[in-house]
Amino acid sequence: MTVPSGIALGPSRKRGAGAPKQAKLKTPWLFIFFCMSPWLFGFLGFTVYPMGASFYQSFTKFNLIESPEWIGLDNYKRMFFEDPDFWQALQNTVWISAVSIPLRIGFAIFSAWLLTKPRHGRSIYRTIYFIPSMVPTVAGAMVFTIIFNPAFGTINMLLEKIGIQEPPYWFQDPAWSKWGLIILGLWGIGDTMIIFLAGLLDIPRSLYEAASLEGANGWQQFRYVTLPLMTPVIFFSAVTGVIGSFQYFTQAYVAAGQVNDYSHSMYFYASHVYYAAFRAYEMGYASALAWVLLAITLFCTLIILRTQKRWVHYPNGSLFK
Amino acid sequence: MRKNRLIATAVASALLASGLIGATSAAQAAERKIVVWVPFGGGNLAMWQASVDRIEAKNPGLTVELVGEIDMAKSLAAINAGNGPDISVANGAGNVGWFCGTGAWQNINDLVSGKKYNMPLNMAKTFTPGSIRTTLSGNVRCALPFSSEIFGFYYNKDLLKAKGIAVPKTTTQLIAASKKLTTFEANGDIKTAGYIPWASFMDNDMASLFLGHMFGARWFNAKGQSSFAADPAWAKAFAWQREFIRTVYGNGSFSAGSRKIQKFIAGSGDFWGGNNDFIKGRVAMLAHADWMSMMWCDPEGWNLNPCTTPAVNFGTAPLPVAPNLLKTHYGSGVMGNNTFGISRGTTNLKDAWIVLKGIATDKTLALAWANANGDPSSLLAARTKTGTNLSYPSFYQTFYDISNHKLSGYHPLLNTSEHLEETGLQQLMAAWQANTVGDIRNPLRDLAKRVNQIIARNK
Repeated sequence: MTVPSGIALGPSRKRGAGAPKQAKLKTPWLFIFFCMSPWLFGFLGFTVYPMGASFYQSFTKFNLIESPEWIGLDNYKRMFFEDPDFWQALQNTVWISAVSIPLRIGFAIFSAWLLTKPRHGRSIYRTIYFIPSMVPTVAGAMVFTIIFNPAFGTINMLLEKIGIQEPPYWFQDPAWSKWGLIILGLWGIGDTMIIFLAGLLDIPRSLYEAASLEGANGWQQFRYVTLPLMTPVIFFSAVTGVIGSFQYFTQAYVAAGQVNDYSHSMYFYASHVYYAAFRAYEMGYASALAWVLLAITLFCTLIILRTQKRWVHYPNGSLFK
Repeated sequence: MRKNRLIATAVASALLASGLIGATSAAQAAERKIVVWVPFGGGNLAMWQASVDRIEAKNPGLTVELVGEIDMAKSLAAINAGNGPDISVANGAGNVGWFCGTGAWQNINDLVSGKKYNMPLNMAKTFTPGSIRTTLSGNVRCALPFSSEIFGFYYNKDLLKAKGIAVPKTTTQLIAASKKLTTFEANGDIKTAGYIPWASFMDNDMASLFLGHMFGARWFNAKGQSSFAADPAWAKAFAWQREFIRTVYGNGSFSAGSRKIQKFIAGSGDFWGGNNDFIKGRVAMLAHADWMSMMWCDPEGWNLNPCTTPAVNFGTAPLPVAPNLLKTHYGSGVMGNNTFGISRGTTNLKDAWIVLKGIATDKTLALAWANANGDPSSLLAARTKTGTNLSYPSFYQTFYDISNHKLSGYHPLLNTSEHLEETGLQQLMAAWQANTVGDIRNPLRDLAKRVNQIIARNK
């Protein structure tokens, strides 16, 4: 095979001894930095510096007015030993993560699978499923507190009609409020569903045909063809789901405000950080909370990453293999 | 020639000097500017502007810029960020500790005593005792009071009359009255309620404050430590709440009663307007602020006077109290007020004090405010109809009487950030209602410990 002139050779290919000497090109570092500068300044100014400052402040008492006062590990000690709200927020957050992530993934796969079935009007169905994820979060949460209202909400009326005499009080009841949030999350599954749909459509039909010829039924095709090939998408959703669920805030904040949730059943970790920083103006403590949040999220993400070899099946040639 | 030159030089120097002095004076005059942020708008802002104009007229060279419709959270954030106003207003007494505690408002003890700038203010002769207490966070005074809000007991005259019930004065009578006034739907749901001692009822986060006041419970001891655990009145108050729900709504079962209340509250109409439960007769009695009278009188326009055809035929009374406190405590009530203080970052403390003191003691403003908003003034000179244009309906006298009672007031304010002792108590009440805590004394002990930790940390 001849290589046309002008095509760069791979690094492993040695140049012939008789190749003409080329003038060494000087790397235009200045120009490169100039081109990168918008991002670079943003990254340094709005990510690196705040993270560094926040890490330092997590060891201080800082109310924005007075200079930060170094207090060592006091904020961390307070968090673990003196702050029951921290534990309640953490408990609520772990609960919502543990329940919502598997449910979201399952529901997204199921919706995506359903959307591969219709022969006609596919784009219409896909749009219908996707629309809820485009509804502003605040509006969605407010509407849900209304339709799940135990006194006049549509949901409980329907539940009573089908014979459930004592339907849950959802957001009004501390025991059920988080389930209300879970359902709200499932309603807006469109963004995750669309990723799963792309994954499903990417599976070659020939694999199903081969499985069918081997006598595999629908469930077996799903179990041995669809599911393994969807594991990279499931993995991606699990990682983003963990990160997202530990930052869960807006829906809970709105719903809790709508029903005066003094029981703190919808008080999550991000709510606690928000209250510490912007209501109590305890920036040092809020920074410590944020760093612990990072540590927890990192830990959970690493666990998922470490276990991926056991259950994630990448197609040959995948970048992530 | 030399003499002429000398004279010319001297004249030029004098002109230059006088020009410089003039320029400096002008600069100083330009610096005499005070910025005031208030949460009010509309007519209330206009009243404040008139007051500010009067202060400017009395103090030539002083300019006051009044900015309306800025809520206190925004003011506090701006002060903390170093770009706040010279003076700002906090709604609600509970926030004084917060503004003082974060250092957003500065200590004005020396200004009040006259040690600084020799412009003293005799607090005792100027303001009501209850409002004076709300200007203190611990022993630090960092605010002056502006107006008052008195919390009393509203009742639906028609509903009580129909059942032949006298206005309850004790917590025992309140249970009996509520039981008579409460009606149920065929499916067992509450149709109309008497009184609802519940943490999330009526768009109000003060249910636990009212509960504590009814039983004379103390928030802090003399040493500034939380009394949630030490004062048995708290446990008694919470026990009474359960007893109330069990007896009135649950037919002997607390959980059944609380479930019914949850559903009843979920079905409440919009709080702020003509669909309010009290106006609609869904609820016969409730504890709330004096200014709610305006909405009962005129849900659309919020006019207190003359209130000849109110939306609900209502009466006013002090909060019922525990039977053993009838003689001593009945007639008192929870009482708060707006307060305003000088920001830590002000560069012109003297003028800020002139403006703060001027507004707080402006009788014309206080009377106009009381007439328009119904809040009894915290300014002693603006609390009598004699010799003033003060005007309010007869039922409003109750709130003036409550505010004159020696036991009326707000709980002592300490440095508990965003009044976290109140938030903690509300949370505890919610947990108690949800039946997730057993013996109430244990969480009260935990809460007391937590409040003490907050106070210690914020010192």
